[in-house]
Amino acid sequence: MATHHEEELAHELRQRGLSRREILQISARLGLSSAAIATVLAACGQAPQQPGTGAAPTTPPATEPTPASLYDLEEGNSGWPASAVSDPTERVEISVAHSWDAVFFERQKQFDALFMQRHPNIVVKAENTPFAEYRQKYVAQAAGNALPDIMYCQFSWAQEFIKNGLFRPLDDYIAREKDFNLQDFTPQSLVSYQRDGKLWGIPYDEGPANLYYNKDIFDAAGIPYPDETWDLEKLKEVALKLTQGEGPNKIFGLGELPTLGDSLVAPPYLMPFGAQYLREPKEDECLINQPEAIAALEWWQELRDKGAVPSPADLQNVAWPAFQFGKIAMTMQGSWATPPIRAGAKFNWDIAMWPRGPKAHVTFSAGSAYMITRDSKNPDAAWIYLNDYLSTAGQSYMWGITGRGSPARLSAWPSYLNSKFAPPGAKYVEQAMRTIASHDIIDQPTGPQVTQAAGPIWDLVVAGQLSVKEACDQVFAAVDPIIAVNRA
Amino acid sequence: MAMQESVGRAAAKPMGKPKLGKLARREEREFYLFISLWIIGFIAFDAGPILASFAISFTNWSMMTPPNWTGLQNYQRLIADPLFYTAMWNSLYFGVGSVGLGLIVSFLLALLLNQKVLGISVFRTIFYLPSVVSGIAVAILWIMILHQDFGLINTVLSWFGIKGPGWLVQPQWAKPALILMSLWGAGGSMVIYLAGLQSVPQHLYEAASIDGAGPWMKFWHVTVPMMSPVIFYNLIVGFIASLQGFVLVLIMTNGGPANATLMFGLYIYRVAFQFFQMGYASALAWILLVVIMAITALQFLGAKYWVFYEGEAAR
Repeated sequence: MATHHEEELAHELRQRGLSRREILQISARLGLSSAAIATVLAACGQAPQQPGTGAAPTTPPATEPTPASLYDLEEGNSGWPASAVSDPTERVEISVAHSWDAVFFERQKQFDALFMQRHPNIVVKAENTPFAEYRQKYVAQAAGNALPDIMYCQFSWAQEFIKNGLFRPLDDYIAREKDFNLQDFTPQSLVSYQRDGKLWGIPYDEGPANLYYNKDIFDAAGIPYPDETWDLEKLKEVALKLTQGEGPNKIFGLGELPTLGDSLVAPPYLMPFGAQYLREPKEDECLINQPEAIAALEWWQELRDKGAVPSPADLQNVAWPAFQFGKIAMTMQGSWATPPIRAGAKFNWDIAMWPRGPKAHVTFSAGSAYMITRDSKNPDAAWIYLNDYLSTAGQSYMWGITGRGSPARLSAWPSYLNSKFAPPGAKYVEQAMRTIASHDIIDQPTGPQVTQAAGPIWDLVVAGQLSVKEACDQVFAAVDPIIAVNRA
Repeated sequence: MAMQESVGRAAAKPMGKPKLGKLARREEREFYLFISLWIIGFIAFDAGPILASFAISFTNWSMMTPPNWTGLQNYQRLIADPLFYTAMWNSLYFGVGSVGLGLIVSFLLALLLNQKVLGISVFRTIFYLPSVVSGIAVAILWIMILHQDFGLINTVLSWFGIKGPGWLVQPQWAKPALILMSLWGAGGSMVIYLAGLQSVPQHLYEAASIDGAGPWMKFWHVTVPMMSPVIFYNLIVGFIASLQGFVLVLIMTNGGPANATLMFGLYIYRVAFQFFQMGYASALAWILLVVIMAITALQFLGAKYWVFYEGEAAR
């Protein structure tokens, strides 16, 4: 017999459209008994039909909209662009590689079904691969000259892939489209996909990092919420005040601190103090041993010394993002963290701008794109798909209405700000993107080697076995030879 | 005399393949039939990639563009690569620690479980069970067991007033923690020891008893020599497996903290699938093979001083 809580849980998991495997994982994490898990799984097997999904495409779709989608199929189904490239006269199939979570892949299927209705001679075959396996899988496919027609690409891999010739330049296609306005894209969103004067991918999102905060913890401490007057000194002061308790019940004031093994570290943690990690955009000089960089990192270190951030041992207890488990008062996260926080947080929370520093007001922004691959057998059909997918209508349909946020096109932002799925402080995401977001993040092909070399050195700082200055000197010595190739 | 020698030499010459009977021919056919599956699998899935990796080790290949021939450059590079030495040291440390501890613990367990007591089959099952649990589950379980604040080990230590270390988060404790964790799979070796113990002839113990040997003397002069081939087998197989260790380290520490658990297999994976330097990764893999072969050869050389084979002439 299912308890009220199990029925409630089953209902929620069903609404999120999770797979049985994911439900099992969540149930196990929640410590449910096997009988309770069986009840939840049984209940989740009876997923109701969602309104709007009965409108199946008239053409045989490669993927069908499924009843598990949270979103209305027809909402946002308008304003699609007409491409200057003609539709194929005979049916062709294009393969598109994505890396979505199970819930959002249902939205992808909805988009594809509508696309195939509009373009009956283009059959879309969507492939979805977990993020952790994505890069290895498609590099292996590149070795066999078997890349899909279109593929997802994260900012941190883009330059490596472009340099190795995996993609086709898109400038000629863009030039043919009267309506394709590159000025509509946030400038930061294009940076990682340009090389040798050409554009190799169309970004779909570019999100700034903001300050997420647990309102319940602030209320309990009687401290006003973060606002636009905050600077980093205020952030530190409040983080220390909100750090309370011991052991499993400890509340941490801040979720994380800078680590030099992170490619996104410079804009939010160093640049506010006038420091930098590598000289951008070429990443040909390491600046981490400069006095201002050392001073900035020492400033942040005080929060670790006073126990205001989780230690590595604490972080072993919780999955990313730790904020959603209610033990962290404030965290800096990219806008893409919103869906899991929204799904998991059982407390009141909101978003504020990342506070200003003594020298500058900066946060990072990062995003991803879609590219047409060199192995594409139907590049024209692939372009027609990209033109729809990453148009204002497409970005609104996929990332605006759904509340995922940070569409790369400025014209798609209103759909996000008006979305019922957007977080309450969504306006600050937009404001940060327009005013303080910097794409000065490590994205050159040498990036993975830089972060892999620096990360273990920084581990010693975290373990209290190395001073910040010693670590910065060692990181400089390790990184400088790696980035020497960027000086050529 | 000369004729006798001549006859003797002739008799020692191979006489050619004896003609097989019907049953023997059938057995031969069945032998090739059964082994063919493995041979086909090896040729199709292993031999090709093994040979290809040797060729790739002389190239610069990102998998995204065709490989460029670079000769011995990858092998020269590893001489100057500090992470090569770190990873090799970590692997050897883990290999010696985990195999050494594992041999002792699994042998002692096998001795215990070789007793004739009520319910011994249940005990054998219980001790063997952990070794069939999947790697991922084991990793997550041990992350919890080794947790600095709430882990089982540190909780037990705290009962005695000892503050346990951050097993997986402090560089100096991370490798010992993994060695401790490796005992989880001792059941596999234990079963092999158990089979070996049960085949030690009883009359040897009886003869030792008549000669006045006590339990320790019987263990040291009968059990250990008779078990030495089994110990040697577990030593060889265990050491090779530990040098190739990868999955648990990837999940539990990903080589950290501060590269303290960067094992050789993990380093090869990182170079291959994070840096996409397949040529260098292949060179590292071949060096690992050479190291494993060298250590195995040394172990075989040393074996003649302590491994006793019952069927052999006196040593």
